[in-house]
Amino acid sequence: MDLHVYINAASVWGAAISMLLGAVGAAIGEGYTAACANEAISRSPHRAGEIFKSMLMGQAITETSAIFALLISMILLFTNVGSDPITPYVLISAGLCMGLGSIGAGIGSGLPAGACCLGISRQPEMSDKLTTNMLIGSSIAQTTAIYSLAVSLMMLFLNLSSHPVSPTWAAVVGAGLSVGLAAIGPAIGEGMAAKAACDGIARKPQASVQITSLMLLGMAVTESTGVYGLLISVILLFKSFAATTAIAPAMALLSAGLCMGIGAIGPGIGEGYTASAAIKWTGRNEKGAGVITRTMLVGQAVSESTGIYSLVIAFIMIFVV
Amino acid sequence: MDELGKIYQLIVPFMGHDLAFNIEVIAMTWIVIAFLVIFAFLATRNRGVVPNKVQVIGEFLVTQLYALTEDALDEELAKKVAPLICALFLFLALSNYLGVIPFLEEPTKDLNVPLSLGILGFVLAHFFGIRAKGFKAYVKGYLEPFFILLPLNLIGEIAKVVSISFRLFGNIMGGSIIILVVSHLVYSLVLPPFLNLFFGLFVGTIQAFVFTMLTTVYISVQVK
Repeated sequence: MDLHVYINAASVWGAAISMLLGAVGAAIGEGYTAACANEAISRSPHRAGEIFKSMLMGQAITETSAIFALLISMILLFTNVGSDPITPYVLISAGLCMGLGSIGAGIGSGLPAGACCLGISRQPEMSDKLTTNMLIGSSIAQTTAIYSLAVSLMMLFLNLSSHPVSPTWAAVVGAGLSVGLAAIGPAIGEGMAAKAACDGIARKPQASVQITSLMLLGMAVTESTGVYGLLISVILLFKSFAATTAIAPAMALLSAGLCMGIGAIGPGIGEGYTASAAIKWTGRNEKGAGVITRTMLVGQAVSESTGIYSLVIAFIMIFVV
Repeated sequence: MDELGKIYQLIVPFMGHDLAFNIEVIAMTWIVIAFLVIFAFLATRNRGVVPNKVQVIGEFLVTQLYALTEDALDEELAKKVAPLICALFLFLALSNYLGVIPFLEEPTKDLNVPLSLGILGFVLAHFFGIRAKGFKAYVKGYLEPFFILLPLNLIGEIAKVVSISFRLFGNIMGGSIIILVVSHLVYSLVLPPFLNLFFGLFVGTIQAFVFTMLTTVYISVQVK
C-alpha cells in the first residue's frame, strides 16, 4: 500500500478518536448540571426562569471542550495536512491529544455550573455573584483543554518533514498522549474547587470575595501538573532527535509522554480535593482564612510530588536514555 | 520559536575537564541580586519612627515572613532561620517576576538555580536536625519504625529535594513555554500581557511562597 492510503486511514481514525473521546466528558458534565438544575427548580419553582438561564449558560461553557474536539475532527477530515511519511502519526496523535484533553474539562466545568444552579435556589439575591463565579470557574477548568487544542494545532501545522521518521513518530505520539492525559486530572480538580466556591458563596454571601480569591489560588496550583504535561509535549515536539532504526530510543520518547500524562491525573484530582475542602471551610469560618490558605498550599505541594516524579522520569527518558 | 531551549554557555577548560557556565543565568541572577541590594539600601536608609515609603514595604515583608517562620518553628530557632527565609522568598519572587520584563529571563527557568536552592534547604534542615537532636537520635530517625525501612527513608529524603526543585522549575519553565507558544500562535496580539501577568506575577508569587514554606516545613520536620 502506498502512503496516501495510510494518510487517509489515519485522518479518519484520528477524527473518530478525537470526537468519540471528546463527547464523553462534556456529556457527563452537562448531565450533572441539568440534574442540579432540576433539583434547584423543585426546591424553588418560582425561580425556574433564572435557574434555567444559568443552567444553559453553564452547559454552553461545558460544551466548549466538545466543540474543540469537533473542530479538530473537521480539520482532520477535510484539510490536507501533508503527505510526509510522518503524517499518519501526526493525524492519529492530534486526534488522541484533543479527545483525551476534553474529557476532564467537560466533567470539570459541569461541576460549578450545577453548584451555581443549586446556589441560586438557596440564595436568590446572590445570583449575579454566583453566575460570575461560575463563569470564571468553568472557564478556568477549560484551560487544560485549550492546551490540548494548542498542541493539536501545532502538531498539525508544524513542518516535520525534515525530521527522521524513526524516533520522531514516537515523539509526536508521546507529545499527544502527554498533554492529553495530563489535561484530565487538573481539569476535574479545578472543577471540584470551583464547585466548592459556588457552594460557599451561596452559604455565606459575606465571604464571597475571600472565597473567589481562594478559588483562583487553589485552581492555579491545581493546574501545575497540566502545565508539566504541556512542557513535556512541547519538548517532544520541538527537540530534534537523531535518526535511528533501533526501537529503544523511540519507545523511550513514547513512554516519556505516557508517563507524564498518566502521572498527572492523580495529583490533579488530589489537589482539587484539597482546594475544594479549603474553600468549603473558608466559607464556614472566614476568620481562619490565612491558616487554611497556608495549609492548602503546602498540602497541595506535597500531593503534587508524585506528578513531579513523573516529570523527572519523563525528562530522564527524553534527555538521558 | 527558535529561542526555545537555547542555552548560552561559556566553556572553560580546567585541569582536563570542561567547566560550563550558563552566562545568561548568571547575569540574570546578578540582576536580581542587584535589585535586592538596592531595595535593601533604600529601605534602611533614613530609617525613622515615621517610616518612609520604601521602609514601609521592607518592614511589611520582613514582619510577615518572620511571622510565617515563627508559626512553623519555635521562637529561638525562628530568629536564626528567618533572615534566610526572607532572603529566599524575595530572591525567588523577584527571579520569577523577571521574565515579565522584555529581554530578561527568569533565572529559575534553569534547573541549576532551583536545584541548588533545594540542596541548600536540605543541608540546612539536616544541619539543624543534627544540632537539635544530637547525632545518635538523628541517625536513629532513619531506622524507624523498623530498620528495614532505612532505604525507603533515605529515598524519601532525596525525593524531597527533587520534588521541591522540580516543582519550581516545571512551573516557571512551563509558564514561559506557554507564553512563547501562545504568543507565536496569536502573532503576539492581545493575549501575551495577560499571560505574563498570570504566569509571571501570580504563579511566580505562589511558587516562591510554596518553595519558601516547604523549606521551613522541612527544617521543622527535622528539628522535631
